[in-house]
Amino acid sequence: MLRRLLVLIALLNAIRPAGLGAAAPAGKVLVEICETGLPAKGEWPESTLVATEAYEEDVFGFFELPQKYITTGIRADRAFPTLVRATATVNIPAGEHRLLLRSRGAARLTLDGKQILATPFDQPRQFAAGNAGELPMEEQATFLDLGPGNRLAPPGNREAWTSVTFSGRAPVTVRLETLVGGVEPKSKKPFRPELGETVVAIALAGSSTWHLLSAGPRRVPYTDRDWATYAEERRERIESMNTAARAGRRAAAAPFWNRRRSAARAWLAATPEETVPALPPGFPAQNAIDHFIGARLAQVKANDAPHRKNGGIDFFREIKPILELNCYRCHQGEKVKGGLRLDQREEARRGGKNDGPAVVPGQPAASALFRRITSTEAEDVMPAKGERLSRGEIELMRRWIEEGATWPDFAEQNFELTPLTDDLTFLRRVSLDTVGVIPSEAEITAFGNVPSAERRQHAIDRLLADPRWADHGTSYWLDVLAENPNLINPTLNNTGPFRWWIYESLLDNKPLDLFVTELVRMEGSERFGGPAGFGIASQNDAPMAAKGIILSSAFLGIEMKCARCHDAPNHAGKQRELFAMAAMLEMKPIKVPATSSVPLDPLRAGGREPLIEVTLAPGTTVLPAWPFAQVSDEVVAAKLSEEPTQSRDRLAALLTSPQNERFAQVMVNRLWEFFMGRGIVATVGDWEKSSASHPELLRWLGREFVRSGYDQKAIARLILGSHAYQRAVDPARQETSPLYHAPAARSIRAEQLVDSLFAATGKPFVVEPVNLDLDSVRTIDNALDLGRAKRAWMLASTSNERDRPSLVLPRIQAVAEVMEVFGWRGARPDAGPGVRVGGANVLQPALLANGTMMTWLTRLSEDHGLTRFALETQTLDQFIERLFLRFFTRRPSGPERIFYTAALRPGYATRVVAAAPAERAASAPHQKFVAWSNHMKSEANTLRLEQQAAARRGEIATPHLEAAWRQRCEDVVWALLNAPEWTSIL
Amino acid sequence: MNRRNFLASATTAATAAAVTSWSTRLRAAESGRLGTHPQGKADHCIFIWLGGGMSQIDTFDPKKRGNSKSAPSLPGSDYDLIDTAVPGVRFTEHLAQTARYAEQLTAVRTVNHRLGSEHALATNFVHTGRPVSGSTIYPSLGSVVTHERGAASDQVPAYMVIGYPNISRGPGFLGSKYGYAYLVDTESGPAGFAPPEGIAAARMAARQKLLAPLQGRAPEHSVRADYEEAQREALRLAGPDFLRHFKLSEEPGAMRQRYGGEFGQRCLLARRLVQAGVRFIEVSHNLNFINGAGWDTHNEGQRNQHVLIRELDTALSALMGDLQAKGLLDRTLIALGTEFGRPGQFDSGGGRGHQSAVFSLLLAGGGLKHCGAFGETDALSGKPVAQPVTIPDFHATIYAALGINPSKELLNTSRPVPITDNGQPIRALFS
Repeated sequence: MLRRLLVLIALLNAIRPAGLGAAAPAGKVLVEICETGLPAKGEWPESTLVATEAYEEDVFGFFELPQKYITTGIRADRAFPTLVRATATVNIPAGEHRLLLRSRGAARLTLDGKQILATPFDQPRQFAAGNAGELPMEEQATFLDLGPGNRLAPPGNREAWTSVTFSGRAPVTVRLETLVGGVEPKSKKPFRPELGETVVAIALAGSSTWHLLSAGPRRVPYTDRDWATYAEERRERIESMNTAARAGRRAAAAPFWNRRRSAARAWLAATPEETVPALPPGFPAQNAIDHFIGARLAQVKANDAPHRKNGGIDFFREIKPILELNCYRCHQGEKVKGGLRLDQREEARRGGKNDGPAVVPGQPAASALFRRITSTEAEDVMPAKGERLSRGEIELMRRWIEEGATWPDFAEQNFELTPLTDDLTFLRRVSLDTVGVIPSEAEITAFGNVPSAERRQHAIDRLLADPRWADHGTSYWLDVLAENPNLINPTLNNTGPFRWWIYESLLDNKPLDLFVTELVRMEGSERFGGPAGFGIASQNDAPMAAKGIILSSAFLGIEMKCARCHDAPNHAGKQRELFAMAAMLEMKPIKVPATSSVPLDPLRAGGREPLIEVTLAPGTTVLPAWPFAQVSDEVVAAKLSEEPTQSRDRLAALLTSPQNERFAQVMVNRLWEFFMGRGIVATVGDWEKSSASHPELLRWLGREFVRSGYDQKAIARLILGSHAYQRAVDPARQETSPLYHAPAARSIRAEQLVDSLFAATGKPFVVEPVNLDLDSVRTIDNALDLGRAKRAWMLASTSNERDRPSLVLPRIQAVAEVMEVFGWRGARPDAGPGVRVGGANVLQPALLANGTMMTWLTRLSEDHGLTRFALETQTLDQFIERLFLRFFTRRPSGPERIFYTAALRPGYATRVVAAAPAERAASAPHQKFVAWSNHMKSEANTLRLEQQAAARRGEIATPHLEAAWRQRCEDVVWALLNAPEWTSIL
Repeated sequence: MNRRNFLASATTAATAAAVTSWSTRLRAAESGRLGTHPQGKADHCIFIWLGGGMSQIDTFDPKKRGNSKSAPSLPGSDYDLIDTAVPGVRFTEHLAQTARYAEQLTAVRTVNHRLGSEHALATNFVHTGRPVSGSTIYPSLGSVVTHERGAASDQVPAYMVIGYPNISRGPGFLGSKYGYAYLVDTESGPAGFAPPEGIAAARMAARQKLLAPLQGRAPEHSVRADYEEAQREALRLAGPDFLRHFKLSEEPGAMRQRYGGEFGQRCLLARRLVQAGVRFIEVSHNLNFINGAGWDTHNEGQRNQHVLIRELDTALSALMGDLQAKGLLDRTLIALGTEFGRPGQFDSGGGRGHQSAVFSLLLAGGGLKHCGAFGETDALSGKPVAQPVTIPDFHATIYAALGINPSKELLNTSRPVPITDNGQPIRALFS
């Protein structure tokens, strides 16, 4: 099917006629997209424009165009405006029929070459008054009403209708033309390229019902419900066209990437393999990973023994927290003050440049650490800044050193492996980790039907092939790459919505080296989901420096945040290095702005030299250069980049070359952390601050990643298949063991929680469009449309810095408030490490108990999945068992079964109300809308407050369940939804 | 439950965590080295937010009378001037009730910033005192106060917002436990604590009984045990003791009337929350259905601006009088915030554009030595003439009034960040 479409497009391009536009194939609407030759001013072209793309449709109903993809398959903008032309030969019966034309941009309709309907080019008053938010709402009452049951135009559409008499003797050539994404006449800035609802509909003589005009047998009544079904079905088709188009682009770029793959293979062959160690006796293994884990565990058990003792001061519990809090600011990691590291035993014993050994076991007086913390000299005492250590802390230090300063490598006392999880716990865990949502009842059943020996691998393979993999992964990369779109007036270090590029990359399982290359090139669409959106940083004094910080942490584990304004005391990266990288991204020399520096004199006021240094004077011009010689030699760029003269291409090659082992290892470490809950290097975005617990495993995984062609799923398959991943949680642990012999329960991510709550209940995830400019009166630089969210990650900050009731999106707000307290960030003005700081807080259970979203999930309304479920014929025991499977992927325990059976027994037999009133068929009332265009009007504020109240009330309860029983069932649902077990992944 | 920990789990603090914990700990680092700073004695702050940009020339920094309706329009104040209780200090006519309290307030007339005139950006600046940055998310005033002083009672959150949640009000790098609990209006109650509509106490109790078998299973000190403890706390707070503070119906009818409409009711609620021990309350005046535009009085928004000003006047004076009568005014600092001001000239629609070169913010009560007005602007309130005040200075004044050293360094992971960006308290306000 996809191939057929591709062929069709190629064919149409090949046979493109010069003057007239192509004739439509019988029974189909030919849709042609024309990007060139449009007159600048608002008028129709004199001649028929040449199509640059084409595809077929069944009926005259359009709401979205297939995306345009460039280079390796990234979204790009078409021309502003672009002409869309839809042509078909239609048999229309004799009679005087009514015809309707609706469009977002200017449109005209011709029959056999004669124009019969048109909508206007620009609506200056709408744009001007709407842009100021002052469009009167009264105008909405003037939209065409097609009669009961028929659909009203959505916000921002233009429309016209007429009656036409048809002879019925010959087929009619119908042609619809419309402009997509015009230019605002005053500012010359483009509008979003939207079709809105561009349709030609017909009501035959004597009939009051409207249909979309069809070229063939397909009939689409123009009602709300039929349009929704039609749009849903077409959207899927457009998605598959998009997928095919991206694949086509990737295929065209294959020669270069194949060369990169051969280079990687050559590098692998030329460098030593990492030997998989032998498995210690009695250690369970499902793949090579378990060999590394087992060998390391045996080694640590043996090595750490002399450093462990019973009784006395416990280093990890009592000493390390003091060091972390007071010393690690300057004495941890690769760059440290005075050459002293206090994060490694041997380094601490050796000491820094100035004072000799920091820790001499048994001799506090000879230990520089102790001398410094007890010094009375202001110039000498440590910590250099901040409060002195308390007497209790000093005493602890003294005793610890006196007792021999024992310092094991790991805090572990217990080296017992936990067993494999049970099957259902595994299924829940692996589903959440791959597709971001708990398994459905059907998935649980199917899982049980696979023979037990193959069950887990089968589930892993199925889940890795599931497109929802992309949903879950996108939520991660949005954090790491600090995607930060703002719906309105982006000024808070906002980016474009490159979420769609991330999502499609994951959908296609794009190799990560290509992913990074596309990101660094920052090409394609800025405002509609290309990686160019990453290149934006609104109101930022040095956008490319900000991007450099993100890239170096995301892909090299090098933290450069401090280097934005100065050289840090505790990070090796210098400001000059960050700006050299920024200049590579800028593709020209870059000047350090004064606002990106720190004046040191005020810091000297206290007497002691400041800890930070400024070695790059504001105003200095920095040339493009690769600053990370430690991870990769710059000569690689000439060989591996596609365009060696382009500094972005060179940077991309240097970041992703196989020679840069750091890149592959940072990526596998991120995946490892994602699935295991703890990185092999624990600080995934800052490798200076901790070292690898399993360096050989890390190197081996890195090489496997290169060998796989930088395929994330290949690494995921390895990790998920390991015994280490599939081990049962040790309930007593707060954190997963750094030796991975006993995992801890992990906190659920906000997106996983919200998606799972909706999935378990079957409540449709219905929120407002993620868009405040519904009627498109604003230009692309100051209003975004993020579409209709189907999964939690698709939401964004509703950006109500203005604090205006009219700009609230109440349903999004109800979901977002839950997500925020569980660690999601609607706005991401700075780069996150990708690891969210967990920890329970009172607002989490509070919003789950009493929040608006919970009202929707609990109320058994007509559209609620549990309403249908409760109406099914089944015993109460079955009902409860299935409820537990749906919610918790487990069966109820004996006491639970008894307890909830007792709660739902009364009235269960008579719960179904047979004679419930029939569903209403009346058409929806004429509902007004609030958008940016009218948000400064009092009425808009009032209407929005009503919508807010409606959201809070939730949908009305079903009449099909007897009220008393339904309420009790809702109470049980509430209880199950508030169970603490939702919040962690076992 | 531990003070300051309303939003945090109550346990875990003492548990030594492994490698990653360095990045999650925060602590106040040291007292500032920039010399002595004045130290006030206020215990609470009510921060009134006038979103949109309050027109200083139509309120607290009036100039010669102009006319928005004449053709062409005549620059100047759109209203008549009146005297206040402080000789020589004048406000516009719609602030008559507040004018009587001028001895207990100071209109700081020379606040200015260079962040331009985009609402979100300026709103962020007036809340955090720093321009946006790609590497740090700075905490809001309320979060810093929460971090420094916690709540005055362990039964309530330290920081509450009556308005919409947004990142400018958030805790930034301090982390979510210094965030706020919020309610969008006085009817809805605090999100997460007020029971959903139609769920009576009996039904809530029944629900909690149904939940009981699913609780209490987590091993001690586990992540889930922390959550269970937070849940018990949340359910307790959703009970009558905490929610009582939000029941304005407990107030005498005359008192409620004194405060006026919804905005006044929010101020009344803020007073109740002060009494309950909430440290910092941000009250939003966003009753935009009154004139559509709220305080963003472009074009036609100007026409009913006086209704907004009167509503502010009623609520602010009622709040001051009420706090005074209850002996709370000296301990409660009222601060008025807005993202920028507006020019003395009118736009073509008879409203006003944006102006950040100078605008007025107000401080009241809080034990400060008030003088009615501070600083001087030019003939049309377009530029400061004497004693300019930056936003960091204004923040420093608020912090100092609350006994917080404005140059104290907070830790953003390992990086020290002074509470204000070199802000200097207005010394004249401290005796």
